[in-house]
Amino acid sequence: MSSFVWRRAVAIARKEVFHILRDPTTLGAALALPLFMVIMFGIAIEFNVKNVALAVNDQDKTQSSRRLLDTFGSSRYFLLHSVASPLDAITDVSAERARAALIIPPRFEKDLFAGRGAGAQILVDGSDSSTVGPVLGYVGSIQNIASRRIGDFNPPDLYALRTRFLFNPELNSRWFVIPGLTVVVMAILSILLTALTVAREWENGSMELLLSTPVQPMEIIVGKLAPYGVLGIIAVTFVYVIARTVFGVPFQGNLAVFGLGCLLFLVTYLAQGLLISVVTRKQTIAMQLAMMSGMLPSNLLSGFIFPIESMPVFFQYFTMIFPARWFMRIARGTFLKGASLLELSGPFLALSISCALMIFMAKRRFKRDLEP
Amino acid sequence: MNRTLIGFIRKELTQTLRDPRMRVLLFVVPIIQLTLFGVAISNEVKNIRLAAFFNPNDTVLRDIYERSIAGGWFIPAKSRAQDPYMMIEGDEADAVLFPPPGGFTRDLGRGTAELQLLVNATNVLQAQAVESYLQNIIQRTLQDDLKLTWPTPPIQITTRVLFNPALETSVFMVPGTMCTIMIISTLSLANIAIVREKEMGTFEMLISAPVSRSEVIYGKTIPYVILGMSNFPFVLAVAIFVFHVPMRGSLLVLLIAAFAFVCTAVALGTLISTYCRNQQQAALAGFLFLFPMIMFSGLMFPLENMPTAIRWISYLDPLAHFMGLLRNIMLKGGEAAYVFTHIAFLAIIGLFSITASFRRFHTTLQ
Repeated sequence: MSSFVWRRAVAIARKEVFHILRDPTTLGAALALPLFMVIMFGIAIEFNVKNVALAVNDQDKTQSSRRLLDTFGSSRYFLLHSVASPLDAITDVSAERARAALIIPPRFEKDLFAGRGAGAQILVDGSDSSTVGPVLGYVGSIQNIASRRIGDFNPPDLYALRTRFLFNPELNSRWFVIPGLTVVVMAILSILLTALTVAREWENGSMELLLSTPVQPMEIIVGKLAPYGVLGIIAVTFVYVIARTVFGVPFQGNLAVFGLGCLLFLVTYLAQGLLISVVTRKQTIAMQLAMMSGMLPSNLLSGFIFPIESMPVFFQYFTMIFPARWFMRIARGTFLKGASLLELSGPFLALSISCALMIFMAKRRFKRDLEP
Repeated sequence: MNRTLIGFIRKELTQTLRDPRMRVLLFVVPIIQLTLFGVAISNEVKNIRLAAFFNPNDTVLRDIYERSIAGGWFIPAKSRAQDPYMMIEGDEADAVLFPPPGGFTRDLGRGTAELQLLVNATNVLQAQAVESYLQNIIQRTLQDDLKLTWPTPPIQITTRVLFNPALETSVFMVPGTMCTIMIISTLSLANIAIVREKEMGTFEMLISAPVSRSEVIYGKTIPYVILGMSNFPFVLAVAIFVFHVPMRGSLLVLLIAAFAFVCTAVALGTLISTYCRNQQQAALAGFLFLFPMIMFSGLMFPLENMPTAIRWISYLDPLAHFMGLLRNIMLKGGEAAYVFTHIAFLAIIGLFSITASFRRFHTTLQ
C-alpha cells in the first residue's frame, strides 16, 4: 500500500472546488443560508413575552375596575380588547383570538371599598407553553401593583433579593441564541452537503471509477471533504461577523479557542456526512438520514433552546453522543463567558473523541466497501 | 382517474418503497423521533445547580436553601471554590445565593435584609426561571419560619389554566413536534422525487412519453400525499396513547386538516423542485424553506413576540397553520371559525404552489 500523497488529495480537492463553483445555485444557497438564518433569528427572537392578547369582560364598569384594566394595559405585556360576556371571553381563547381572558365580577368596586378583598379572574390558554409561564408571572406582579395603586396597599418590605445576571446582564435573548446558531448553521451545511455529494458519486458510479485509480482512500476523503470544510468556515465567519456588528453580541473569549472548536466540530460532522453517504449510497436516503442525525439533534438535543439539564436523566447522558452538544458549550462559553481552553477542556475532550471516532468509522466503512 | 395516472402513482410508490431502508425511514423513524423528542424536550427549567454561602447559625437562609433543593427545581452544586463569582465562571454552579455580612437571619430581625443572588445568564430562559423560583421559595420560607402572615392584597386575581391545567409539557410539545416531523419528510420527499428524475435524465423521457403535463405532476405528487397521510395515524396514535395528549375535537376534522397540510407540503416541495437541477440543490433549497417554517411556526419561540411584519410572514407558513390547527383541534376541541380559516389558508398556499408549479413546468418544457 502506498502512502498518503498530498498532491493527489489536492487534485481531488481542486476537482471538487470546480464542481462547487460550476453550480452557483448550490454555492449561493450554501452561503445565503447562514446569512439568512442569523438575520431572521436576530430580528424574530424575543423570549420576553409581551403583547399577549387579553379578552376582557368587565361586568363592574366602575372607576376601580377601569383602573385595574389600565394597570393591565399600561404594563405593555397585554393587549386588551373587551368582550360582551364571560362566555365570549372563553370563546376568544378557544378561537385563538386571545391568549388569556380577564373577568371582573359586578361587585368588584363594592368589595374593594368594603374591605372584603375584591376578586377578579384570569383564564390562561394552557395550549401554548411559551406564554403560560410568563403570563402567570405577570399576573402576580400586576396584582401587587394594582393593590398598591387602587387599594392603597403598602406592605413593608421585609427583604430584598438583589439579582445579578452574569455574562448577560440585560437578559438579551439574542446574546443567548446567536452564538448557538453557529452550531446549527455548521451542522446543517457540513453534514448535508458532504452526505449528498459523496452519495451522488456512489449513485452514478464515479466513485468506483475513482477508486480504481491509484488514489488512496484517505486522499479521496481529504480531497472531497476539504472544500466543504472551507465552505463551513466561511459560513461560520459570516455568522460571527453579523453577530458582532449587526446584533452587537459580545465576544469575551479567545478567538483561537473558538476557531479550534469550529474546526473540530466541522471535521466531525464532515466525517459523519461521509459515513452517511458510504452507508446509504443513495442521495434520497442520505438526505433524510442527514436531516435526522444532524439537523434535528443539533436543533433540539444540543441545548440550543431546550435545556439539557431539564431532560430525563437518560437523555442527559444520551445527548453526550451528539458533538453539537459539546460545541454548543464551547460557542456559548467563548462568546459570553470568555472561557479559556482549560475551562472548556471537558467539551474539547469530548469533541475530539467524537471527531476521532467518526473519522475512524468513516474510514473503516470506506475501506471495507472497497474490498470485493 | 385514468389508467396512466394510476400506473404512474403505482410506479412512484413502488420506487420509493422498494428500498427497505426507505420504508424504515418513512414509517419507523418518525415514531421513534416523536417518542424521543416527546420525552426529552421541554421548556421547563429544572436541575439548576444552586449553591448558598451561610453560617451554621443563619437558620433562615439554610432553610431557604434546603427547601430549594427539596422542591425539585434545584440540585446542590458541587464546588470547592470559595468565591461565588468563580463558581459560576468555572461552570460549577448556575446560581449562588449569598447573605449580607452579618447573616440573613440577623438582618431580617433588624428590618430590611438584602440577599444577593448571582445567576449565570448565558441561558436567558434559565436565568429568568431561577429568579422567579427563588422569589417564591423565599417568600414561603419567611412565612413559615418567622410565622409571618403576609397581609393579603385587597385585589385578588385568581388564575385558572384552561385546556392543560396540570401544565404538562408533553401536551404542548408533542403536537408541535408531530407537525415538524411530518413536514420534513413529506416536503423533502416530494421535492427530491422530481429532481432525481431531472438529474438522471429520465424526466426528459417522461416528457417525451405520451402522458400529459398534468398527469406527470399529479403522478409525482399524489403518491407523496398518500405516503404522508399513511404516516399520520401512526404519529397520532403515539401522541394520544403514549403521551396522553387529549383528543377533544373530531377525528374527521383533524384528518381533513392533516390532509390539507400534507397536500400543501407536497405542493410546496414540487414547486421548489422546479427550481432545482440536482439533488444537492434540492436539499439546500428544501432546507432554506424548512428552517424558517420551523422558526415561525411558534414551536420554539412565541409568535406574539415577533415584530408585526414577521407575524404576517407566518401567515405564509403552512407549518404555523397546521400547528395551530393541531393544538386547537386536539386540546380545545376545534373552534369552527378558527379551524375553517386556517384550513382555508393551507388550501390557498397549496393551490398557489401547485398552480405555480404547473406554470414553471410549462415554461421549462418549451
